[in-house]
Amino acid sequence: MTVLVYLEHADGAVDEPSLQAVTLARSLARAASVQAVSACGDSTQAPADGLGGHGVDVLHAAMHDAFATYAPRAIAETIAELAGRLGAAAVIGPGTERGNEVLAHVAALLDLPLAANCVSASGAEVTRIRWGGSLLEEARVDASPLLLTVQPHALAAQVGAQGTATVESFTPSLSEAALALRVVERAAAATGGVSLADAKVVVSGGRGAGSAEGFGPIEELAGLLDAAVGCSRAVTMAGWRPHTDQVGQTGTKIAPEIYIACGISGATQHMAGCKGAKRILAINADRDAPILQSADYAVIGDMHEVVPAISAALRAARP
Amino acid sequence: MTTLASALALLVALAVAGVLFGRRAHLLYRIVRLGKPTDRTGDAGRRARTEATVVLGQRKLLQRVVPGLVHALVFWGFVVLLPTILMALLGAVDEDWTLPWLGHQGWYLLLVDVFCVLVLVGVIAAFGIRKVQRPARFEGSHLREADLILGLIAVIVTTLLLWHASQIALGIAEWPAGWSPLSNAIATAMGDGAWLETGERVFVWLHVLTILSFLVYLPYSKHLHIGTAGINVWFGRTRSRGRLEPLDFEVEDEAALRLGSGTLVDMTWKQMLDTMSCTECGRCQDVCPAWATGKDLSPKLLIMGLRDRLFAEGPAVLDGREPTALVPAAVTDEVVWDCVTCGACVHECPVSIEHVDHIVDLRRHLVMAESRFPAEAGTMLRDVGRSSNPWGKPQSERAAWADGLGVRVLEPGDPAPEVLYWVGCAASFDERARASARATATLLLHAGLDVGILGPRESCTGDPARRMGDEFTFQEQARRNVATLGEAGVTRIVTSCPHCFNTLGSEYTDFGGSYEVVHHTELLAELLADGRLEAPEGTDPITYHDSCYLARHNDVVAAPRAIVSRIGRPLEMARHGKRTFCCGAGGAHMWMEERGSAINEERAREAAATGAETLAVACPFCTMMLDDGVRQTGSGLRVADVAVLLAEAVVPASGD
Repeated sequence: MTVLVYLEHADGAVDEPSLQAVTLARSLARAASVQAVSACGDSTQAPADGLGGHGVDVLHAAMHDAFATYAPRAIAETIAELAGRLGAAAVIGPGTERGNEVLAHVAALLDLPLAANCVSASGAEVTRIRWGGSLLEEARVDASPLLLTVQPHALAAQVGAQGTATVESFTPSLSEAALALRVVERAAAATGGVSLADAKVVVSGGRGAGSAEGFGPIEELAGLLDAAVGCSRAVTMAGWRPHTDQVGQTGTKIAPEIYIACGISGATQHMAGCKGAKRILAINADRDAPILQSADYAVIGDMHEVVPAISAALRAARP
Repeated sequence: MTTLASALALLVALAVAGVLFGRRAHLLYRIVRLGKPTDRTGDAGRRARTEATVVLGQRKLLQRVVPGLVHALVFWGFVVLLPTILMALLGAVDEDWTLPWLGHQGWYLLLVDVFCVLVLVGVIAAFGIRKVQRPARFEGSHLREADLILGLIAVIVTTLLLWHASQIALGIAEWPAGWSPLSNAIATAMGDGAWLETGERVFVWLHVLTILSFLVYLPYSKHLHIGTAGINVWFGRTRSRGRLEPLDFEVEDEAALRLGSGTLVDMTWKQMLDTMSCTECGRCQDVCPAWATGKDLSPKLLIMGLRDRLFAEGPAVLDGREPTALVPAAVTDEVVWDCVTCGACVHECPVSIEHVDHIVDLRRHLVMAESRFPAEAGTMLRDVGRSSNPWGKPQSERAAWADGLGVRVLEPGDPAPEVLYWVGCAASFDERARASARATATLLLHAGLDVGILGPRESCTGDPARRMGDEFTFQEQARRNVATLGEAGVTRIVTSCPHCFNTLGSEYTDFGGSYEVVHHTELLAELLADGRLEAPEGTDPITYHDSCYLARHNDVVAAPRAIVSRIGRPLEMARHGKRTFCCGAGGAHMWMEERGSAINEERAREAAATGAETLAVACPFCTMMLDDGVRQTGSGLRVADVAVLLAEAVVPASGD
């Protein structure tokens, strides 16, 4: 049987999750043929180096202008066409964001089920990861070809096969619909700097901020500390900040060196989102606020006075 | 027309109506038979009582006095007038024919006159409600269908009166005409013209044909409930309303494994019957906290959506076609997740539709078969399974609230306490809710009870996972807790959390755990009544918020009020007792982002409007939600658990 693997590549090298997909393909195909397909803007991009060692027999370098950028539907049509031509018994891709997207398009085109994030496969029986890793599901997929993606880093990419992969170029016949979906422009995330989840310092405001404008001093302090700005659920409910800023169990979980919580009472759901913080500084007018139970440092006072005072002191201390 | 010709004409009319009605009824029956099994046998006595009060007594409808009376008039009229249908069928064949005995009873014909008037009054009032008052609960209902049905009822009753009057005018009435004041008056007005003979025939045939048209129209309309509601009420739940039907994961045949409702064939036959019983009255929509705060969910539209799908797809499925997914075609994802499982809709429904069960089954399929649920709730599901509490707190801190209080933390092998205090995750970990755990424990110890807690061995009951549709995680938690409680030899449990109260008391019996479970307000009220706790009479104005899982799902209404009325001056909110309004946390919404306006703020405003200074609660989740709501709306109410308020008021019993 022939198994077709979709490879993601950059700068002439195949990504690790794609090589892991090849390894799973080999275990599925036994001694038979593992062929691969990669989308290339031109022939110089075909990532053939070392593929033979991973057990790939043939690399089909699909050439099309559309592949100069990421074009999931076009890649999917290419894979579907090639799979049909090869009579592939299975089509496998890496379970990355893009791999899952491309294979989902393939599944839609062929009107077949897709088993995403598999960790092993034997015939039509697959084991796959569900629920953010808390559950392993054993499933049987009744489809031909079998469509799978492989959970990244769940198995190691194996080398040691003898041989080299021959490269064959392939020009897909793409529909107009396939070309409609393409990258038009790339823009950096508009958060204006540090991401909340990775920030070393986070300054958050709660209901005590009083209004959207009340975040002015918090943003100022965050700017001085090179920190990300966060907020509590009460703030997003009130519409003062977007949900992407919310720290909490139902928002972003953070793990900064220091978390400065201003006017935040410290509801359990909020504290569940900042339990990764090494140190917590609470600024709160209410001496009984629950957050004081978890805070390492606290200032009892109106955040509208305390926060600007800290900013002023920081400015004064800096040359 | 001769008697023979009339009889033939009637037979033809009956046959046509019978075939049209029968074909539709048979189809509906076959669709219901597609449904999955659910055990609704047993409890015949209780079912009969419910049938008597809810159907005959119109108890649920009369929760709203005016529209309830309007319906009751028409319904009772329908019951009383039923024999007149037979009389009319006989009379249509031959003007001298009527029912033996009953057709000659003056008192019965008096009743007929009286109920004809009452039904007409009911119909006119119903039109008044629909056309003049136009309550919001009808939003989304089929209004023209209702108009047509009311019109048909009016025609049926009017032709009955006219027929009886013409019989009297002709002197062919089979009963002492003096008993029929209204028919008599109409007869007098009719005079003795030559048209009467024909008129009498026209009236009786118009009457009979309208009834037959009504019969044929019924199963094609929302008025189907005339046939189905009585059956649906009979098969309604008889066990605790807070209990969800467990799924069986241990089935031998994997094809029989049911993971909630993915398509219509996954629905139980009772759920199918539910959809066919709905009359679109909108009482459920009117009390729904999600609908009231601008969310997509209306329990009425949910049931209508499922019914439409059932009728659209049912016939094809019976012919062997594969059914399609219910979500999002019949019901959108948003609707499924908006529900707080407060059960207000179920409590309100006059025909025993079990909306919450529908929602939970739809969730079960989305969560367990498709992993499709609001992403922000995923952490909670994982933490319940991994960390034994929904916030992922370390179990070692579970008993930290009790430091210095002298509560016995039960180690394995310790003797069982007189009463086990099941604290619950919220009161164990949340700073605001811990106050109620401290107050409860202090009061119980003060009253001299031997009370113990499980500490780190206590684990989430699984309630939030179950209400999210993650039945699998729930059952794991249930089995684990039942084992722990069994090992500890526990027989009597007091809980702070109404959700734990419901789960331990009403749901763990399905997993082999049977205990006497009381809520802390019940135990404290008992100790107060026995004099083991003493508190001076208070005068502060307090309004008490009923938790859905305490009041509506488990009938605990009086005990918290007994405490509140001792320590303060109780003020009731408009929505209280079993018709309370949710705080917004139920159905795992504590761990979901809320769309639309906030339920807790709506409730906090209602509480503030009573003029009370204190908002008493008896649930840690209500405490958190309403405290937030009060802060957000800025009313300055103090939100406190009944136990906290009682602890502040209690003085040592004499000789203590």
